[in-house]
Amino acid sequence: MDDGIEPLLAAGRHARAFDLVVPAYKDRIFRLAFSILRERAAAEDATQETLVRVWKALPRFDGRAALGTWIYAITRNTCLMELRRRRPTVSFDDPDSTEAQHAAASVASGPAADPERDNLLRLVDTLPRNQQEAVRLFYLEDRSYDAVAEQLGLPLGTVKNLLHRARKRLMELARPDEVKAA
Amino acid sequence: MNDPTLIGPCADYEHDLLDLHDGALAPGRVGIVRNHLGHCARCQSWLAEFTVIDARLAGELPRPQLSAGFDARLRERLASLQRAPARGELRVRVERERETLLGALQSAARRRAVLGAIGGAMATLCVLAAARGLLASGSVAVPQGVEGVERLIALGAVGAAIAVATLAWSAARYGVGALGLQR
Repeated sequence: MDDGIEPLLAAGRHARAFDLVVPAYKDRIFRLAFSILRERAAAEDATQETLVRVWKALPRFDGRAALGTWIYAITRNTCLMELRRRRPTVSFDDPDSTEAQHAAASVASGPAADPERDNLLRLVDTLPRNQQEAVRLFYLEDRSYDAVAEQLGLPLGTVKNLLHRARKRLMELARPDEVKAA
Repeated sequence: MNDPTLIGPCADYEHDLLDLHDGALAPGRVGIVRNHLGHCARCQSWLAEFTVIDARLAGELPRPQLSAGFDARLRERLASLQRAPARGELRVRVERERETLLGALQSAARRRAVLGAIGGAMATLCVLAAARGLLASGSVAVPQGVEGVERLIALGAVGAAIAVATLAWSAARYGVGALGLQR
């Protein structure tokens, strides 16, 4: 992925390196941003903002982390800033304790006649935020654990665990009531 | 093995079944898990259910793409950022030139003011010297009763007044502002 970029950076040819960074990373930055922000327009804005930050900071990139790791960290920070801007009261320290928990509880114990109960997207929205991000990104990245781990900056085992819990929960939520009752 | 009346896979195989489905199971475990799956109805059922959810997620989750104009907008934004420092640089250069010009004007005004003051002082000395000569020769009438020390004081006062007037003229002529007291 970074073939050709690292040597240019080492040679101080940052503008040329950036020309290679954009086509190599823009789509994955966008998918990561979308998995966090859940809106196409916002994800596209975040992608542009991320690439502008990369452009500004590229001369200071010291190569201690992999270029992708560095770019995805910038992407996540950009998205978190956007989320904070939208809702300054949201806590990101404990994503499992946010409104997602309440939403999950309301669906799980909601009225049986809820016509949208089987709506899979809605069910995904009820998952804790970190599970939602992992699930969206996993399927956007064609079921690649490694890509999800790299982009979310998490260990592979953590990603597997998140995906396991998320999909198991979705199976439970999607089951017909009679099966749940049994 | 778990109680077959419960819903869900056997606890020992749950993670393995997911890894098997996702193609992430260690090669050494594949045979063991497939063997278990072959004769465990619970695990078969759970894996089938999981496969359905997985297929739905893969098919129903949105897969947005960057819009066609993304690259152009990015290039435009980067170009505007590159132009911004150029404008700032121009402003700095103009301000630097202004400072240089102002400094030169102040320096010249100070020089003229000092020369004016020296000239005024010289003129005062000349006037005093001439007055002293005239008084000594007795060609100038001095009011009655003004003698000795009083005469010197009177001459000194006249000289000081002339010197102050000269300095005031010099400062007014070249401007107090130019002396750096105001910008």
